[in-house]
Amino acid sequence: MSVSADPTSAAAKRAASAALIAHLEASGYPRFEPPILQKADLFFNSGEDIRSQLYLTSDLSGAEYCLRPEYTIPVCAHYLASEAAGLAATYSYCGPAFRFRTDGPSEFLQAGLENFGHPDREAADAEILGVTLDAVAALGQSDVDVRFGDNGLIRDLVAALDLSPQWQRRILRGHAQDKSLDAILAEPVNGKGSDHTGVLAALEGVDKKGARALVEDLLSIAGISSVGGRSVAEIADRFLEQAALRAGEEFPIEHRAVLKEFLDIETDPDQASSRLRQLAATTGLDLGVALDRFDARLGFMAARGLDVADFTFSTRFARDLEYYTGFVFEAFDRARPQEEPIVGGGRYDGLLKALGGEGDIGAVGAAIWIERLQLPQRGQMDWWR
Amino acid sequence: MSDVIKPQLVLAVPSKGRLQENASAFFARAGLQFVQGRGARDYRGKIAGLDGVEVAFVSTSEIVTHLAAGTAHLGVTGEDLVRESIADADSKCELLAPLGFGHANVIVAVPQAWIDVRTMADLEDVAVAFRARRGERMRVATKYVNLTRRFFAERHVTDYRIVESLGATEGAPAAGTAELIVDITTTGSTLAANALKILDDGVILRSEANFVASLTAPWTVETREAARIILSRIAAEEVARTTREVSARIAQVDIELFAHAEVLFAARPRRHLADGWLTLTCPKDKVAALADWLLTQGAAEVTVAQLDYVFTDKNKLYEKLVARLP
Repeated sequence: MSVSADPTSAAAKRAASAALIAHLEASGYPRFEPPILQKADLFFNSGEDIRSQLYLTSDLSGAEYCLRPEYTIPVCAHYLASEAAGLAATYSYCGPAFRFRTDGPSEFLQAGLENFGHPDREAADAEILGVTLDAVAALGQSDVDVRFGDNGLIRDLVAALDLSPQWQRRILRGHAQDKSLDAILAEPVNGKGSDHTGVLAALEGVDKKGARALVEDLLSIAGISSVGGRSVAEIADRFLEQAALRAGEEFPIEHRAVLKEFLDIETDPDQASSRLRQLAATTGLDLGVALDRFDARLGFMAARGLDVADFTFSTRFARDLEYYTGFVFEAFDRARPQEEPIVGGGRYDGLLKALGGEGDIGAVGAAIWIERLQLPQRGQMDWWR
Repeated sequence: MSDVIKPQLVLAVPSKGRLQENASAFFARAGLQFVQGRGARDYRGKIAGLDGVEVAFVSTSEIVTHLAAGTAHLGVTGEDLVRESIADADSKCELLAPLGFGHANVIVAVPQAWIDVRTMADLEDVAVAFRARRGERMRVATKYVNLTRRFFAERHVTDYRIVESLGATEGAPAAGTAELIVDITTTGSTLAANALKILDDGVILRSEANFVASLTAPWTVETREAARIILSRIAAEEVARTTREVSARIAQVDIELFAHAEVLFAARPRRHLADGWLTLTCPKDKVAALADWLLTQGAAEVTVAQLDYVFTDKNKLYEKLVARLP
């Protein structure tokens, strides 16, 4: 799906950009524009999906560069190299970004804002959402449908249920991929019949240490020393995890019911909060910390004057779990509900550390896709004059 | 020098190795003999007795580049290279026919020691755990960067990083430069020698040499006509090679005999004379059965002949090409 039919004129885009920059700066997010030409390896650890969309080039020394495919990583790198690293800091940006795409223009305009190291994470979450919605409202885009989720909730829920690490990973990954509960819990289909089922069954119930020693011995008898970056203990452990999984056959039915009830929650935020508390109370699962954060965030949103009751919260709403670690949101133009979201963002607490930051520095941000906004035509552009 | 340069059809064929021998043999069978100009070092040639065609002898990877850019009209190359090197290959090329040689599979292989990994689902799980434990992504050595990205994305494997490898990829896990590989294999023996195994659902592409047409090349009246001639000869040879002509004399020929022959043996009548002589064509592998059956229908003798060419007014290969041209 590309941008709406309206061929937004260059002048309208320029005007919208200027208005956004002014609004974000006035909201306490000073502008920082990273260079368009970036060191390519900065993005190489963001996954092959981004990597495959890079416009790459190299200089005479052979060093690889790319056109910036997005802003967040360069802004993070700038923050970490600055004197503000580790302290509270805010940034905004607005300009072209470049990604190889076959279904739309490869150069697009992106504006956005980032909030690092805020002492109160829930307050920062609410602030990012509020500033972003205000910014697009200032461009005349105020009738929006806001949907949000919280990746932290399912993490805490899965941790509270007593599940094997393999099940935990499968549920979290399946959730991020928007798979149905049935699909997540279905036994993976193996291509051929000849597997290790017999051995796994034999190992079932054997004490863990003994079983691991056995598998390690087998591997060393086979003369296997090179195991492609995984240790023999690691392989043995996962092999036994599979044994345990198979021994369990069916996923515990009471856990399935809890997950189903959890994943069914999609309603206004206050209602969602009370249903989540009810679920925690009836199952005895400890979700207290996550739920207090959830409520605190709602409180900050309401205090900013956001119409919380008009938002939709969904436990299924997940924007790329690999990257986002908590609060996530998107907003859609109510006049064009089938189109892509006009803004989106969330909390990504792991990124600064992955980029070399010291300690756990919180980070939350949002992007505004200018070309998806319904910009006023010439003559009705009083808002920017 | 005074010749007016007419638009030529460019046919790109492999310049060396087994693929070159196989491709030359393939065209020779179809009566298309390459004439290489001034010795074996010349990289341009002609087809004997066929004007308007220029044969370019180039490396297989270059053939793909020429087809994508439209600087060659037709070419012989592996499907693996077409799918790897051309973004949205189906919009730029048409695979006219698999050629029956150059078989190779593009596969995902992991160390045999990974006894807990048999499927792509296992790999996804292990990749997540690998990253969680080390903070780094699992490395995949390959020269098939695009095929790998597409295949892994379809199977939700995202926690990996490609390490480009332009040779001896199968040695990367042992050398410690990657955890697993995506590579091409014919027999699997090189993989086994390097203690690697193919995942149960890890075959990305079953590739073989293909006769490929470029959709972006300049398809003028002249080049279309040259393509039609080449393709009709190839089709004529293919039909001849895969069918046989079967003759017999049956005194009392029932009309239903032909209907039965068609249903039972996919045989088609070619001739039927008043004195009871009839000739049928049928697929090579059904010849013996058809002959037996004709004997039971009253024939005293059945003869089978091999044909050199079967030219038909319907040229499937050419029609396939024309259907894709504007």
